[in-house]
Amino acid sequence: MSKKTIHIPLGSQHISLLEPVRFKFECENEKIVGVDSDVGFVHRGIERACTTKFKFDAIGYVVARVCGLCAITHSLSYTVAIEKLLGGEISKKAKYLRILLLELDRIHSHMLCLSHTCENAGFEAMFMRIMGDRELVMEIQELLTGNRIQFDYISIGGVNRDLDVQTAKKIIENLALVKAKVFSYIDEFTNNWSLSLKFKGIGALTLEDAYRFNAIGPLARACGLPIDVRNEIEYLPFDEVGFKMQTHNDGDINARNMVRLNEILNSLEMCENILRGLPEGEIFTKLKGKPKGEALMRFEAPRGELMYYVKGDGSAMLNRVRIKTPTFACIPAFSHIFMGEEYADAPAILASFDPCLSCTAK
Amino acid sequence: MLTSFIKAFKNLFKKPQTIDYPATPIVQDKGHRGLIEYGEESCIYCLKCEKACPPGAILFVPVQDPSQNEKNKKGLAYNYNPYLCIYCGECVRACPKPDEALWQSNKKPQVAVKSDKVNAEWFVLEKLKKQEKTK
Amino acid sequence: MKKIEVALKSVRDEIKSFYDYKKWHFLTLNGVALEDNRMQVQWIFSKYEALDEVVIYYAEIDYTERIPSLSDIIPSAIISQRELVDMFGVEVEGSEKGLYLDEDSMQTPLRSCLV
Repeated sequence: MSKKTIHIPLGSQHISLLEPVRFKFECENEKIVGVDSDVGFVHRGIERACTTKFKFDAIGYVVARVCGLCAITHSLSYTVAIEKLLGGEISKKAKYLRILLLELDRIHSHMLCLSHTCENAGFEAMFMRIMGDRELVMEIQELLTGNRIQFDYISIGGVNRDLDVQTAKKIIENLALVKAKVFSYIDEFTNNWSLSLKFKGIGALTLEDAYRFNAIGPLARACGLPIDVRNEIEYLPFDEVGFKMQTHNDGDINARNMVRLNEILNSLEMCENILRGLPEGEIFTKLKGKPKGEALMRFEAPRGELMYYVKGDGSAMLNRVRIKTPTFACIPAFSHIFMGEEYADAPAILASFDPCLSCTAK
Repeated sequence: MLTSFIKAFKNLFKKPQTIDYPATPIVQDKGHRGLIEYGEESCIYCLKCEKACPPGAILFVPVQDPSQNEKNKKGLAYNYNPYLCIYCGECVRACPKPDEALWQSNKKPQVAVKSDKVNAEWFVLEKLKKQEKTK
Repeated sequence: MKKIEVALKSVRDEIKSFYDYKKWHFLTLNGVALEDNRMQVQWIFSKYEALDEVVIYYAEIDYTERIPSLSDIIPSAIISQRELVDMFGVEVEGSEKGLYLDEDSMQTPLRSCLV
């Protein structure tokens, strides 16, 4: 083997990527020995816009536009941080409805990620199947909130729409259909050669490295690191609705897929529990005043931990809104995983991370 | 092997997942968040919707020949930009007389073309509003 | 949320003695603009498997001061250090500009918040 290395870029426009990210790989023959990443292609300056252009009560809708897939987690984290500053408690029903939408969002986001993993393994038919089944979830999201992706469901003080009986019935029906489909995916992802054996041992991260690089989300849980913000916050009653931590020990692509599939099942169970035991009450409590002081709120987005830091000085304009998105915090871990892998596996590994670059660059 | 054959054969007679649009129209759900609609007669000109709108897609601008609504003391006219609107419904929630003065329909906006001059006309209104504020 | 003030000089030693990577999870590095050309730099940590336990180490600095790098203690800090350099135009050891901003974009966008 010669000592000479070659540089091969992946992105920013690449056939297997949906997102504008560029990795510059330094390769020794087929093996990757060095990684350099560029993630700032879609920077829109949302943090600055939040402190200069918009008043605090409109920012919930602004930050929802950071990302299409985890829009609900963004607006929820911001809104809860503001609610903390304003003081005052929102009703239990609103909290349950917030969890319901959060989990529906997680289901459709994980399904999207799984379908892209299939696509990058060369399994187009499965990609289309999962994308088709994902419509079942999108449909109920539209019924519940009025829109497929930009829900705009959460406002300061509660939620915007109530759940009626017909919608609840439709949600239960569709979730039962999704559940049957997810079991068939689990079968495919464990027994199909191109989805399971091919992925075993590829792109692995050890538990030690997961701790060292502060990995989060399904990436960390696939290595056995028990980090899930749903377990670490008191604000929403996740333990009441049946949250269970899903972990795996292998840390490779297959493990990440299995963690995601198990999380979908857990989310489905949580949604059912919420619909069965939805408490009575108002969905909206009016909160008055202007935010003063600083608050920090974390939530579990589909890709991992999302953090909002909000600082206000008692006026309608905020002093600082800091958004820490899951993919942004994982970039050092991503780069570490690529080291020592083969270049040909890079697209599949990248798809298994489920990166969200529009979150990262905000 | 046999099961995969049976599956493949069954798949031949499955209904497609997609809709044959535009031959089959897409039925919009009743609760879909669409265009904001305005009833001039019931409006009390409190301008709450204008203040609540996050992107500023509702503007009340003074005009020469205002409507005959007696509440309209300043001679304002309602302007709405469906292409700036994010359809969040915040204005309808702020409105003291929802369903009569301001409500959300499930219709989608028409696609704007260049001859509509959506931007140019709206910028003039924004300028007018700014001038009025500085007065 | 617990806030601990540290001097910029001793921040490396303080965090080195505090940070046990199996107990604490490094969330992010955050900057907040203050009045009179000063800013607050915050290193935010949360505890694994504990309810709402967040610790913030913070230091108040001038924009001209040089912030020490923590990337040898916490490898994942490197990306948020690069973001801080871009957003506030401060100098962080070993971190270069250009994660988000290009040469022709607005420079130090978050600095002028209070102006």
